[in-house]
Amino acid sequence: MLILIMIEDMLGDLGCQAIKTAATVDEAIALIEAQVFDVAMLDMNLNGSKTFAVADALAKHGVPFVFSTGYSGGDMRTGYDDRPVLKKPFREVELAGILAHLLSC
Amino acid sequence: MSEKIDKSEKQKNAEADVESFRQGLGPFVVAAETTRMAMVFTDAKAPGNPIIFVNDAFLELTGYDREEVLGQSFNFLMARGADAESLEYIAAAFAGSATGGTEICYHRKDGSVFWSAILISPVRDGNGEIVQHFASLVDLTDYKHKQAQSRMLIDELNHRVKNTLATVQSIVWQAFRNTSDPPVIRDSIESRLFALSRSHDLLTLERWEGAGLRDVIVAALEPFGVENGRTEHFVIEGENIRVSATVALALGIAFHELATNAVKYGAFSNKAGSVSITWSLEPSPDGDRLNLRWQESNGPPVTMPTRKGFGSRIIERGLAHELGGTAQLEYPASGVICTINFPAPHGARNG
Repeated sequence: MLILIMIEDMLGDLGCQAIKTAATVDEAIALIEAQVFDVAMLDMNLNGSKTFAVADALAKHGVPFVFSTGYSGGDMRTGYDDRPVLKKPFREVELAGILAHLLSC
Repeated sequence: MSEKIDKSEKQKNAEADVESFRQGLGPFVVAAETTRMAMVFTDAKAPGNPIIFVNDAFLELTGYDREEVLGQSFNFLMARGADAESLEYIAAAFAGSATGGTEICYHRKDGSVFWSAILISPVRDGNGEIVQHFASLVDLTDYKHKQAQSRMLIDELNHRVKNTLATVQSIVWQAFRNTSDPPVIRDSIESRLFALSRSHDLLTLERWEGAGLRDVIVAALEPFGVENGRTEHFVIEGENIRVSATVALALGIAFHELATNAVKYGAFSNKAGSVSITWSLEPSPDGDRLNLRWQESNGPPVTMPTRKGFGSRIIERGLAHELGGTAQLEYPASGVICTINFPAPHGARNG
């Protein structure tokens, strides 16, 4: 949860104005259905479950996103292997680079 | 029908062969019959390398009866349950072009899978001619299982290390964000690292499967009570309910922040101040919830902070997010109150 606060701070530094967080797959999907997001960051694991269902919802709504993970192995599901991945820990400049790329697409 | 007669003739021949081994080799045959290593002899002179001897270990490993395999072609028997790569090795071994052994995955008669190390070597007579082949199999199923388990553990450990490093990064990040005073920065980093370390110690005791709620709180507050001689200024009331590792880590950090704040501005900043920490389970339509309350009293009069510090963000944003519940800080003049409410872990009622 300290990581969450830091990422919020990083996003705030980069000029991001509104940030929503979800701790479970269901919460995340409900949020995506309920409002429009410019960009999203998705941990590959939420509370021990894989989050590809959230990735599907983001893709369906056309929200650009970056995966974040603490795992180093490449068990990315097919269809998502071209998505950017931020490996924890990551630096603010890496986050900034990826977000700039996602928002310019 | 003709196959059956044929088989029993082969079997008779095979039994006669074994009998002749037994007379010639005595204890070696007994050893081969009773060893835990699965062993097979095949006749190199007959077409298809028919099996002329199998020991009990082989039958136990593969699930076949002796009469089902004696006289059968070894390749044929193996082809029933092995993959193409294993069969290639077996064929090469019989053709004399394989060196060393290999690991194969094989299906037993009942369809279940086992892994084994297999070695096939030729048996030559006095003239150097191959008369038999000897195959030995060592069951590797347990070993493969443990290997997979340890690979998973290493992945999981790596994941935790990366998350811990990111947590350390955020601790350092915050320390530098809030002040430029080196001793304060160092103290802020150290005290949070030690809080994290105490939570890890507690979780390691129970192999990271969880921890008791009371133990989590006592560990988080240990430097504030024992070191400052304030043990009598704590009231901790509630059952030692088991919580998950995630919840234990989150609460460990949260209580550390609450206590740090109390030392700076609240009930631990004077002699008389004390804090009461109580919790209970509350039934709700969606299952039990755990209601936790931190209440300070007899400290200096509290004033509402002018800006939200890191500590209060950790609790109201971070903790609430991590627990999937709510966490609120209130600042009445009589003492800070923090109420935390989240879904109770399964089985909490039974302790």
